[in-house]
Amino acid sequence: MIEFRTQGFNPYATKYSPFFDSRLAVSAGANFGLVGNGRLYILNLTANGIQVEKFFETQDCLFDTAWSEQHENQILTAGGDGSIKLFDIGVGEFPVAGWQEHSREVFSVHWGLVDKTRFASSSWDGTVKIWSPERKESLVTLPVHSCVYSAQFSPHHPEIVTCVGRDSHLRVFDLRTKASAQNHLTLAIPIHAPPKVPVPGYGQGSVGPTECLTHDWNKYRDSVLATAGVDSVIRTFDLRSPSGPVNFLTGHEYAVRKVSWSPHLSDVLLSASYDMTCRVWTDGSNVEKGGGGAGFGRELGRMDAHTEFAMGVDWCLFGAEGWCATCAWDERVLVWDVREFMRQT
Amino acid sequence: MAAERLSSIVSQLTPGQKPIDTITQKNPDDVVITLAIRTPLCKAYKGGLKDTPLDGLVFKILEQVVRKSNIDPQMVEDICLGNVSDSKAAYYVRAACLAAGFPNTTAASSVNRFCSSGLKAVQDIANQIITGSIECGVAVGAEHMSTGGDRLTRPFVDDIVHSGTQDAADCLMPMGQTSENVGKDFNITREQQDLYAAESFRRAEAAQKAGWFDDEITPITVKVDGKDVTLTRDEGIRPNTTFEGLNKIRPAFPEFGDRSTGGNSSQVTDGAAAVLLMKRSKALELGQPILAKFVGATVAGLAPRIMGIGPSLAVPKILTKFGLTLDDIDVIELNEAFASMAVYCRDTMKMDYSKMNPRGGAIALGHPLGCTGARQICTGLSECRRRKAKVLLTTMCIGTGMGMAGIFVNEQLD
Repeated sequence: MIEFRTQGFNPYATKYSPFFDSRLAVSAGANFGLVGNGRLYILNLTANGIQVEKFFETQDCLFDTAWSEQHENQILTAGGDGSIKLFDIGVGEFPVAGWQEHSREVFSVHWGLVDKTRFASSSWDGTVKIWSPERKESLVTLPVHSCVYSAQFSPHHPEIVTCVGRDSHLRVFDLRTKASAQNHLTLAIPIHAPPKVPVPGYGQGSVGPTECLTHDWNKYRDSVLATAGVDSVIRTFDLRSPSGPVNFLTGHEYAVRKVSWSPHLSDVLLSASYDMTCRVWTDGSNVEKGGGGAGFGRELGRMDAHTEFAMGVDWCLFGAEGWCATCAWDERVLVWDVREFMRQT
Repeated sequence: MAAERLSSIVSQLTPGQKPIDTITQKNPDDVVITLAIRTPLCKAYKGGLKDTPLDGLVFKILEQVVRKSNIDPQMVEDICLGNVSDSKAAYYVRAACLAAGFPNTTAASSVNRFCSSGLKAVQDIANQIITGSIECGVAVGAEHMSTGGDRLTRPFVDDIVHSGTQDAADCLMPMGQTSENVGKDFNITREQQDLYAAESFRRAEAAQKAGWFDDEITPITVKVDGKDVTLTRDEGIRPNTTFEGLNKIRPAFPEFGDRSTGGNSSQVTDGAAAVLLMKRSKALELGQPILAKFVGATVAGLAPRIMGIGPSLAVPKILTKFGLTLDDIDVIELNEAFASMAVYCRDTMKMDYSKMNPRGGAIALGHPLGCTGARQICTGLSECRRRKAKVLLTTMCIGTGMGMAGIFVNEQLD
């Protein structure tokens, strides 16, 4: 396990570069992001451990970061003052572009993975905005009317955007539809709806809605997503039958802050939680590994070296499958191999 | 700002969710309102609706429901009419709905809980939707006070009169007397009542001038003295009403007291209002606009002799049921049966007067008994839309000693 200390700053998100296998970004804020400056660290994984290549300072905490898919040296940050900034690692200490439209904290930024000319942002002001790095104003604003914690472009389709937020709904927007009273909204799935197939030990009725803090698209199955949030349960959804969750992954003891599906295995995902653990799960869908198809999910392993809320996870795309980076409010970024923590079952 | 970030993290840690989030969340099974309209409120005996008896009034409002909502009338399974004075109300609503464009597969009934009948009709339809009896219904509140007929034609039977229960005997008490009782028991002076009434008129006049009522009123064309007239404005609002002017008016119930007058009591009025309700999933399926969510309603009983204080029991009861406080409420529609009870309820519950009856109330607009419960929803939701506010509380006192309250969440926030 390799460690890096973000001295004086508490990390919120960490992302591997899509272009370089040894480059990692961490967005952080002073004083747990409540007040004070923000910092974006650009880190290199070398034979001598993690080295800081560069860092950028900002006026307010940085809640999220996303590498550009078009330009190998550029990276976006989501700021607590409502600003989105584009930094270029080779260019000075100030951003090369900035956008100030959100009226409250921007909680996530996500670069389009199919149409690499656009990115999305979501904010406490209740909107998701779609941008192009070349344009000064946002292209589309999707109203959600309650704090949106996470928004993403689908990795399978260039025009599908999803988001989750405080009102416990997973919203799917299709940007191809005409702008109308629906504002591109195609589906609004209540995350707290009862499961389609009764899950043992979970009960039949709808549990109360709770804030949903994170979601992620499955990288292999184009209609599957995972969401997680304050009720500590990770749910998987299939958009082909959207009335309720397919799978429940229970085990975390506090809110789950981030989930990320593996880029290598279609049934594995990684989560970071306020209970200070990062856990690996399977949703049971991989028949070869013994899952029954739409099987039952279970925990495969956990890493509890963090000593504060675990806030961000990201898988390494390159090299041996199974390496990931996690960051937590204990001012540490840990890079480790998931396979070392899998339990023998 | 830092404090807000901190409290958002803290709320992510605490397992339960805040009550305000519970009531504002959107579930597919919620009962939602997709249309809320009302006729103008006209003075009884001499106003625009004097020649339109109850069946005509219900017919007119149901016609507007069909027209304004674009709903396929076959989808409406039940219509409930809240009406107080007319014992034949059930006949009228049935015939009127069949004439207004609803097929004979649409059922109809009437309810009477006096001044809360409009809200009770909404609750009736909502309860049927919640239990799955029906999927879509219309609640109507309508009253033709020009016809009269509110009082009992004979006293109660001996068993009741001689039961020795004062409360039972007090059910015969005229409303004016209950108002004077409230004024005396709780020391609401004539001056306080007239000040309140003047403010109600001022707010209603300002709202009417600013056109705020335009999105709740649906104009209707009726016959007045044989001629067709299109009614568009509430008639009860007397412009330039002042405290001094009101203070000169003689007491209306001198045998009971000297504080309630015609100027600081609700007016005798004709009017109708209608609310279209269905499940949220049904509204999305039919493409109906979702105006608001019906959260719940409840009733509380008390001594008939001071029936006016009803809201001061019903409101805490409903807030407790949902874990809310008055701070969570954005707009309050409290029926001004009399200034005595309005002042008492506002001050006892420490209501924020800027949130309460911002467009005036029954003192200025009128109180067509069975219509009021539904009318408050139309006005309250229109005000929520104007303010871009979310939570509406409606409440009223009820003759014979009750209070009712309902909570709605406005969803038209754009």
